[in-house]
Amino acid sequence: MGHALTMGQTPRKPRLPVINLRDAGTLIGLLVIGAVFAASAPSFLTQHNLINILQQSSINACVALGMTLVIISGGIDLSVGPTAALSAVITATLVVSGMPLPIALLAGLATGLLCGFVNGALIAVAGLQPFIVTLGTLSLYRAMALIFTNGNPVLGLSPSFRHLFNGSIGIFPIPVLIVGVASLVAWCVLSKTPLGEYILAVGGNEEAARVAGVPVVRTKIATYMISGLAASLGAMILIGRLGAAEPVLGNLWELDAIAAAAIGGASLMGGKGSIVGTLLGAVVLGAMRNGLTLLNVQAFYQLLATGIIIIAAMLVDRFTRGTA
Amino acid sequence: MEHLGMPRLRLEGLTKRYAGITVLDDVGFDVQPGEVHALLGENGAGKSTLLKILSGVVKPEHGTIAVDGVPLKAHSMAAARSAGIAMIHQELQQVPELSVAQNMFLGHPMLKSGVLLDRKEMERRAAIVLKDLDPTIDVKARVKDLKVASRQLVEIARALLFDAKIIAMDEPTSSLMPSEFERLAGIILDLQQRGVAIIYVSHKLDEVLRICSRGTVLRDGKFVAAVTLAETTERKLVSMMVGRDIVLQDHHSSALSDVVLRAHRLSWSDKVKDVSFELHRGEVLGVAGLVGAGRTELMQLLSGLHQPSSGEIYVHGTLRKFGKSRDAIQCGIGLVPEERKRDGIVPLRSAFANAALTSWPRFARFGWRSEGRVRAKVDHLFDELQLRPRSPDKPIGLFSGGNQQKIILARWLLAETEILLLDEPTRGIDVGAKQEIYRLVHDLAAQGRSIIVVSSELLEIMALSDRVLVMREGRLAAELGRDELTEDTIMQHAAVTAAPETMESASWAMH
Repeated sequence: MGHALTMGQTPRKPRLPVINLRDAGTLIGLLVIGAVFAASAPSFLTQHNLINILQQSSINACVALGMTLVIISGGIDLSVGPTAALSAVITATLVVSGMPLPIALLAGLATGLLCGFVNGALIAVAGLQPFIVTLGTLSLYRAMALIFTNGNPVLGLSPSFRHLFNGSIGIFPIPVLIVGVASLVAWCVLSKTPLGEYILAVGGNEEAARVAGVPVVRTKIATYMISGLAASLGAMILIGRLGAAEPVLGNLWELDAIAAAAIGGASLMGGKGSIVGTLLGAVVLGAMRNGLTLLNVQAFYQLLATGIIIIAAMLVDRFTRGTA
Repeated sequence: MEHLGMPRLRLEGLTKRYAGITVLDDVGFDVQPGEVHALLGENGAGKSTLLKILSGVVKPEHGTIAVDGVPLKAHSMAAARSAGIAMIHQELQQVPELSVAQNMFLGHPMLKSGVLLDRKEMERRAAIVLKDLDPTIDVKARVKDLKVASRQLVEIARALLFDAKIIAMDEPTSSLMPSEFERLAGIILDLQQRGVAIIYVSHKLDEVLRICSRGTVLRDGKFVAAVTLAETTERKLVSMMVGRDIVLQDHHSSALSDVVLRAHRLSWSDKVKDVSFELHRGEVLGVAGLVGAGRTELMQLLSGLHQPSSGEIYVHGTLRKFGKSRDAIQCGIGLVPEERKRDGIVPLRSAFANAALTSWPRFARFGWRSEGRVRAKVDHLFDELQLRPRSPDKPIGLFSGGNQQKIILARWLLAETEILLLDEPTRGIDVGAKQEIYRLVHDLAAQGRSIIVVSSELLEIMALSDRVLVMREGRLAAELGRDELTEDTIMQHAAVTAAPETMESASWAMH
């Protein structure tokens, strides 16, 4: 066993690094993008604009939190946008019909949990592939939102509802704070609860997890429920801001969320991903769109830049990973 | 074309290391045209690495391969192929849905006017080659509709199609019926007459002695001996291949202690048939048998991965039904699976996380992992098991096989598992680590844990077990006490239809 000695003892002390190497990489990427825009657009690096970026990134970050857990578990959730839409129209309808706000909110969040439960059950119990299941429910949930509202937006949300999601505490807009708390919760789930360890194990090697006694079915269902919940929370923030709920809202949210998670280091093969990284990934996307807008660059080029960033992040990942 | 005395294939100084472990150390030999050369050694001796190097899948650190005196310029599959080296894998590498002709030309199709597949021409040429081997095989038949023996002939035909000068066969008879071996032997003779050099890898020494003229014995990655097979015996070959003493440890008698686990007439599918046995406290129970005898499936029944179609499992006298592995774990039964990479480890997670995975329900408070307490216990276990390197935060995938096994053992010890099922616990583990695993098994039994060891290595079974169950075709063929344990008795019961003189050879059919 002489070889074992040459492998080198890694230091035992720092058990929970404050920020891991991959997250540091995402942060550096964010700083580089920030520096470029700061140099070319004077208004970029103002407190007002930076807060604005966080605000603009908040909904995507929220959806991406759930998406990250799903991706770590080895799955994918394409149905987040329609899940959000269904939650939004249900909450909005209840608010407009005069239901107490807490009930309306809980109904919306419960809708998200239920959508996630259906996804999870089809994947974990029926054994269908996540991509196909959520592709199916993407249409299904969207159709339900459209049928429920007859295709019309639900207008006239009460000011008291809108008040919940607008305004600021200190310098931070309420949506940013909501997502901040949600991120903390997601981080704790991943790093501090058995469920988090199970998600990592199921995504890392499902068969080994099963042999080790991990409740694989429950873990997967819980993961998709969290994703549904995160999507519906994103929907609440959006309709609070707009004052109306469109049954077509949330179109292509899944792609932004997957992009944020991937930029943040989540592996679509499962078993790997970071909440901090995903948040940074969402802010990278937000900062870039914001910066390009400030520079009056056409929207086409924003799309171009998004594509380049995603692919660049993956290439950096691929070539820095080495052995592991 | 052939130069007098020029070997068809010359291997020199081949050396390969994986993650600092030398799996092949300065190995070389010659094969003459028309020679059938046996490559002999135990599992892990370096045979498969050598074959991988030969076929260009793996790049050696040092060494050269020369065909007809011309060294290969590069170590790549394309270079090996164009030099005329072909490989018949144990698991045939074919696309079942495609036809025989399509499979034979896979990756190197013939084209009409440079674009379109020339199916007719491919079928015509495939048929010409196949005619000599087996005229009954239809080149248009889909490969999945062929018998295994015919599929193997298609592979051989594919090699001939591309003018192979050297054909390496890895366990070619592992999935053949005994009668089909005769036909293969005939085809090998035919290949010999064409001047093809053949490298023959098989655990079945009687086959090797029949069809090979010379052989090379490897052990622990090193060249041990060049043998002329006409001048040797199976027994001599075995001692060259094993070449080391397994330390037999003192055994305590545990037959009189309590029964912790009892299986009563367990059956599952057609893999396990009517198996009953008892396991005592502090006992090491070995399970021997050939591949496919149902040993792994029996472990899967006992660990809740499959549900028996009939029969019962009693733990401490209480009837238990395991719907999933968690149910078995709650009854104190833990499985260390045979396929460590596939079923054992979560490669990206740390040693600590892998060890703690099973025990979170016990160590979580209000849905919160209380890591401090678990850390202390896992650290202590890693000390006891002498994990190397002692880096609990390093991903388990970066540990050596033996140390991965220790981490999986730590998982069950942390979960205070009373009954350990070890399925091929030392497969793919180097010799030093093997001895450590043996020591651990003895220590754990001495502490009162009950252990079932499935192993294909007879010496391992004999070194570890207080009692041995021999399985044959899903059934329990025999139960042998410690004083009845010899290789011959175990094999007598394990072998399917072996006549007395082939008993010994059958032991090498197991792997």
